[in-house]
Amino acid sequence: MRKALLVALCAATVALVPVALGGSQAEPGVTAKIITIGGTFPLTGVASSYAPIPKGMTAYFSYINATKVNGKRGVNGRQISFRVEDDAFNPQQTLQKTQALVEQARVFALLGGLGTEPQLAVRDYLNSKKVPQLYVSTGATTFGFDQKKYPWTLGWQPDYQAEAAIYGKQIARNHPNAKIAIIFQNDDYGKDYIAGLESGLGSKKSQIVATRGFNVTDPSVGSQLTDLRRSGADTLMIFATPGKTIQTYGTLPRIGWKPENIYLNSVSATDTFMGIAVRSAGAATVNGSISVQYLKDPANTEWNNDAGMKLYRRIMAKYLPEANANDGLYLYGMAKAYSFTQVLAKLGATPTRAGLMKAALGSTFKTNPFALPGVVTQTSGRDAFPISQVRLIRYNNGTWTAIGQLVNGRGK
Amino acid sequence: MTAGVRITPSLVARLVVLAGAIVFFALAPLFMSNFRQSELVLVGIYFIAIIGLNIVTGYSGQISLGHGAFMGIGAYTTAILVTKYDVGQYWTIPLAGLIAGIVGFLFGFPALRLTGVYLALATFGLAVAFISLAQSTRFEGYTGGGGGLALGVPTTPYYLTWSIALGMFVAAWLLLRGRLGRRLRAVRDAPVAAVSSGINLALVKAIAFGLAALYAGVAGSLLVIRTGFVNYLTFPVLLSILLLTGAALGGFGSLGGVLFGALFIQYAPGLSATLPHVPKESAPSVMYGVILLIVLFLMPGGAAELVRRLLGLLKRLTGPRYSRRTGERVVS
Amino acid sequence: MTEFWEQIVAGLASGGIYATLALALVLIHRATGVINFAQGEMGMFSTYIAWSLLYTYGVPYWGTFAITLVISFFGGVLVYLALIRPLSRGGDIAIVIATIALLVILNGGAGWIWSPEVRSFESPFPIDRIEIGGVGISWQDLGTILVSIACVIVVFCFFRFTRVGLMMRASAQRPGTSRLLGIRVTLMLAIGWGLAAMLSAVSGMMAAPILTLDPNFMLIVLTYAFAAAVLGGIDSPVGAVAGAYILGVGISLLGTYWDYVTGAPELELPIALAVLLLILLFRPAGLFGRAVVRRV
Repeated sequence: MRKALLVALCAATVALVPVALGGSQAEPGVTAKIITIGGTFPLTGVASSYAPIPKGMTAYFSYINATKVNGKRGVNGRQISFRVEDDAFNPQQTLQKTQALVEQARVFALLGGLGTEPQLAVRDYLNSKKVPQLYVSTGATTFGFDQKKYPWTLGWQPDYQAEAAIYGKQIARNHPNAKIAIIFQNDDYGKDYIAGLESGLGSKKSQIVATRGFNVTDPSVGSQLTDLRRSGADTLMIFATPGKTIQTYGTLPRIGWKPENIYLNSVSATDTFMGIAVRSAGAATVNGSISVQYLKDPANTEWNNDAGMKLYRRIMAKYLPEANANDGLYLYGMAKAYSFTQVLAKLGATPTRAGLMKAALGSTFKTNPFALPGVVTQTSGRDAFPISQVRLIRYNNGTWTAIGQLVNGRGK
Repeated sequence: MTAGVRITPSLVARLVVLAGAIVFFALAPLFMSNFRQSELVLVGIYFIAIIGLNIVTGYSGQISLGHGAFMGIGAYTTAILVTKYDVGQYWTIPLAGLIAGIVGFLFGFPALRLTGVYLALATFGLAVAFISLAQSTRFEGYTGGGGGLALGVPTTPYYLTWSIALGMFVAAWLLLRGRLGRRLRAVRDAPVAAVSSGINLALVKAIAFGLAALYAGVAGSLLVIRTGFVNYLTFPVLLSILLLTGAALGGFGSLGGVLFGALFIQYAPGLSATLPHVPKESAPSVMYGVILLIVLFLMPGGAAELVRRLLGLLKRLTGPRYSRRTGERVVS
Repeated sequence: MTEFWEQIVAGLASGGIYATLALALVLIHRATGVINFAQGEMGMFSTYIAWSLLYTYGVPYWGTFAITLVISFFGGVLVYLALIRPLSRGGDIAIVIATIALLVILNGGAGWIWSPEVRSFESPFPIDRIEIGGVGISWQDLGTILVSIACVIVVFCFFRFTRVGLMMRASAQRPGTSRLLGIRVTLMLAIGWGLAAMLSAVSGMMAAPILTLDPNFMLIVLTYAFAAAVLGGIDSPVGAVAGAYILGVGISLLGTYWDYVTGAPELELPIALAVLLLILLFRPAGLFGRAVVRRV
């Protein structure tokens, strides 16, 4: 009998919380002084290398909240409250945390949710609830491609297919006789890259001689690389998240394979990850690797006197003094937060969710202090890929240097 | 149905408790937001899974660290039937339970040869192997490989989950009160005597495993219906450990504690995030471990034992008194 | 033919990664009859400590190695005295749950103290390869294999030829009699756990350069180590290491010559676990262990 009371007491306490919360607002997450947004990120688990991204976003919002513009702090007088939740890259957790953000915390919008599978898992839900799923942190092409079917969802960064197409064009033009081997993550993320590479190679698709997939939970990639080496390829494409990219580099000298050209995807190509790869595999293996970038690289001295980079460093010093400011992921977070404040500013005094999506889908922002000069954030009725310009870069002795101009992956 | 269930005051009390719980859960959606309901759906899912774990670990004394894998088998069964064969998702639930149950039963037979710790190893291996198999390219046609399978929009099957939970709870209760329960306890407490009295050890152990897996399979099926999505990351090894923690906390061998364990699994991570000084992502893991240790050292019977002790204490304080002189009961 | 030998070498390299951990598992089981699910995480935690010594405090590699071993030794002793011994009357289930609890505490704790993102960990061996009889092998792999063999030789000699080793064997097999003979059984068993913790640390420090360091990296190593230990004989130190190499080579060859597995390396782990299960069913003592009659 008393056991039941104990249980009932627990359950009742839990049940009464939403009753206590009460109070309705004009638009969820918006009060006179505060706008509340949220996002799910892999703070633990197999993809925890991305944890600096939400930290960068939060730091930028702290800066905005403290800075006076026209006598008011925040954006249009509202401070931004950003709730970061851990989903450990497990889509089931993503759903739970997202639902909590929408139904319990009642956020205005979801911003920057990370991971192709995790964000796909909540896309239906968010669209059915008409909650913005804005600027997801994944380049999976479907987020831009299927935007009409999912009007509340929008990507942000250059998409994977477009990125890989640039590699394809580069190889077809400069190394028409190269034999390509691909090691890729065995899910939509990796397959997007392969599709893009094939489209970039066009008629020279046959240059791909071998592909091997892996899963993020695999302990090592030794057998895949051994198989790829056996194919006689001289060019290796690494389409993987940072942890596995580093492992791939580390495994190459162990199995005695030195491909002439290595291409890796931009999400894994920050200075920090390359540094770890060099420590694992030696500079000889890593030097010469090619990727693309669209943001400024904090580890590259070419931006030392740049106003945007100075802003970045000021914010890092003030809000994340213990962090490694050379890690490009923090800058990625700030760039995204900046984009959000740009869009939010357009909404004026009474922001609404529908207004947010309208602004995000029909604006052109010519500058972002954290992006490369010339990169615009632009969407329109026919183009749901906000950022699509990148430039090719090559890694050598600790730094990335540009080997080309900005190109538009979507051919706009 | 078994012969002669004795009507005791304790039984009546428990039935009242059960009735109270049923009323609570039946009426809850009326004063609860959709979000709270979806949380309770998860509680219900864990509840079903832990009943199964209790049967195999608590009542028959076999350690299972692979319960998450059986949930996964049920989940994938439902997902495959819905996405590849267009079966209505609710019809797949019994099938998911059945298939998981059969796999569990087959796993249970060899388990005869494995005692205590070896079984833990084997089931741990199962939990790990499941993840590899679920993501394997070899089975991609069925499992969707790394990308998994998507059923559609997430749902909140509140009444469905709790009616199934109620039904399965009653079924377990009846089974455990009857012949099967006695045989399970015999296998757990006195295996040699059990064999001597003609119990087929292999069969009983296998049935225990099969039942547990069946429960887990149903829970997994409901989980994928609720989430609308499943992939290899949905059932990590940590889940199996978590289920074990919930079962231990509730009290092995006690069906009543199962609800407590399920509530713990659902709400503890959130509560642990409020601990000061601990980064919220690490807190849950450390907390589970600490709680397991507390249960082990201080409360091996889990919450059920704690409640029993409290009740015992209460009874002694308020119960009938006996005359010191004559030993007879004093009626005042 | 070169391909065959290359696969053998690759298999030995794999086996080398978990051989030392398998040895640690066997040591614990032989001494206290416990299967320590937290063995891998203890090694992981030790490796993180080593990481701090190396990269935060700048201690040179071999100094770090030695200090880490010492810290691990005391860590193992502490785990035995504070966790395992008090529960030894609680039965098998209690101990399994205790080691699982330790596993999650160490796992979460490492993420808490050091933060969970991937790090590199240097290897004491050079990065390049050498050729032996026409077959190439990297120094890292060769070094890992040699270290594991060195460990098993040390353990073997320790138990066979030293007095402490003899006392430990006596404590494990006949605790009652040993006490009567004046042996401090508890101390011996604690030392056994300390030694196993040292071996786990070695395993972690050998595996980290190859697998990269993060809180979960030893979980897979642990799984393979279990399979290897059971295959070789859960009570036989030599068997455990031999089992690791047999398993590693076996899986490597299967992966090359059995079409079903070629190109699907994620199946290697389930295969290892299938081996584990088959051995547990049909020859629980393993290839090199002594058969024990189990009743019921």
